[in-house]
Amino acid sequence: MQRKPRGVVTNCQEKIQHWKKVDNDYNALQERLSTLPDKLSYNIMVPFGPFAFMPGKLVHTNEVTVLLGDNWFAKCSAKQAVGLVEHRKEHVRKTIDDLKKVIKNFESRVEFTEDLQKMSDAAGDIVDIREEIKSDFEFKAKHRIAHKPHSKPKTSDIFEADFANDVKSKDLLADKELWARLEELERQEELLGELDSKPDTMIANGEDTSSEEEKEDQNINVHVMHQVTDSVHSSSCYKDVTHSELFNGQVNSQLNCSMIGSNSYHSNEDEEEEEEEDDDDDDDDDGDNENDVLGVGDHSVPTIYFSHTVEPKRVRINTGKNTTLKFSEKKEEAKRKRKNSSGSGHSAQELPTIRTPADIYRVFVDVVNGEYVPRKSILKSRSRENSVCSDTSESSAADFDDRRGVLRSISCEEATCSDTSESILEEEQEENHHKKLLPLSGTPEAFSGTVIEKEFLSPSLTPHPTMVHPVLPTIPERKEVLSEISEETTKRVSKFKAARLQQKN
Amino acid sequence: MPSRGSQPEDGAALSSADNSTPHKEDLSSKIKEQKIVVDELSNLKKNRKVYRQQQNSNIFFLADRTEMLSESKNILDELKKEYQEIENSEKTKIKK
Repeated sequence: MQRKPRGVVTNCQEKIQHWKKVDNDYNALQERLSTLPDKLSYNIMVPFGPFAFMPGKLVHTNEVTVLLGDNWFAKCSAKQAVGLVEHRKEHVRKTIDDLKKVIKNFESRVEFTEDLQKMSDAAGDIVDIREEIKSDFEFKAKHRIAHKPHSKPKTSDIFEADFANDVKSKDLLADKELWARLEELERQEELLGELDSKPDTMIANGEDTSSEEEKEDQNINVHVMHQVTDSVHSSSCYKDVTHSELFNGQVNSQLNCSMIGSNSYHSNEDEEEEEEEDDDDDDDDDGDNENDVLGVGDHSVPTIYFSHTVEPKRVRINTGKNTTLKFSEKKEEAKRKRKNSSGSGHSAQELPTIRTPADIYRVFVDVVNGEYVPRKSILKSRSRENSVCSDTSESSAADFDDRRGVLRSISCEEATCSDTSESILEEEQEENHHKKLLPLSGTPEAFSGTVIEKEFLSPSLTPHPTMVHPVLPTIPERKEVLSEISEETTKRVSKFKAARLQQKN
Repeated sequence: MPSRGSQPEDGAALSSADNSTPHKEDLSSKIKEQKIVVDELSNLKKNRKVYRQQQNSNIFFLADRTEMLSESKNILDELKKEYQEIENSEKTKIKK
């Protein structure tokens, strides 16, 4: 606490020294200039290169060429040059004054910290409140901490426990962290969804790559790696996939979840992870903090428990340009729907409160009966047809459940393809607990950024091996990005179609 | 005066001597430098030219030797005074 202000102070003092020297130089120059025109010529030693001199004369003593900056010069008389020098000195003085003020401010800080330290040393009842600062701030791609490695589907209990254990962590979470976490979680969701039936292994691998990002993750990843040994190849895939930090973050979180089964986490880590999630949940109290633990059917590998709170997440809606819109309603709605019961139908949605433009879109799309096709006017890209807002998640909902295990499986390839989409999907998935499976898991969609709102309308969603249709209208995101992957596009189309069909049914 | 002269940059008095540093060590080093300057200047032959360096640049202006010598001596005296003052103040502090 003291180091920084002190560092600043010393830094400022050095600068002041430098500027004082400059001021001194200008003074000398001014002196010289004032006396220069006194003589017609001066005998001087003319420098020849850096080391040699030649005796010579200085003539035209009144003509001075002044550098104005950027290699521009001005020819002026000695007196004019003196004026210029005076002006520059003014600037230097101002700089010095500012630096002195800075020093003054920081000195007071240093004093304060010193006093504080004295006080704390003296008085015993003054407790030092410390919070672990998770390096979430550093990168957005915070890995999403698995809800709890040891957690059961309902993580609320665990969270409570965690709270008791680490109170401090909660405090720490700032909005930024939460958002970052949310994003990461979303990504993870997407990632999970994309993953095939090898969720655990994949995740573990992913974590490995992502572990680089965070130390905690590293610890966890190590554990994971131990557990998952056969998925070496997957790790490589992940590496490709997780080239983006975000992705890694997702993976981590996912992996964390999966670690639940393995229980190889250190309690602390788990707690931390959980806490983080708790924080997320707490923060997201607005929405239903439902933590869905994503249980992967494949128990041989660590199961991924995916839990996320319904929080407004940024949904990237592909409106021709990469725009991200926030939509929290979707998630809430999805949650509601989910709660209602699978198959209750998405339509049960209460009138979605429109809070963000995305909501409008969503509503807008839904309004259009028949196929949930986003009106062109809203979203220009037609490709989004299915996705925009109107991805009849209903049908997909059912599928999600079935496919969770499958979707969750992480398929490197797919994941790689749809990094962006995953993130988005994650968001949605987070909202929809049931959507553990990233719809992307099966579909290497060209547009990874599809926002999938999953509404559990009908469990009869035709299982799309490729993509899980979000209940809520999904807004395909950046199709262009993924367009590279031909496979995905084709799959995507099919998937959507299937979803649509389902809806009709 | 013959144009050839030892002009050594040594002979040029540094016009930018910083005399304001209160620290004893800096002062002592400066005093040493000043002493050298004075000695050198006083040791020059009459026909030598003395050049003074323009601050922050590589230009040397011809200067009068005698003037330079007297100037350097003044600077040295001042530095010594400062040094003495600091010493005295330190002594008083120690006494206290």
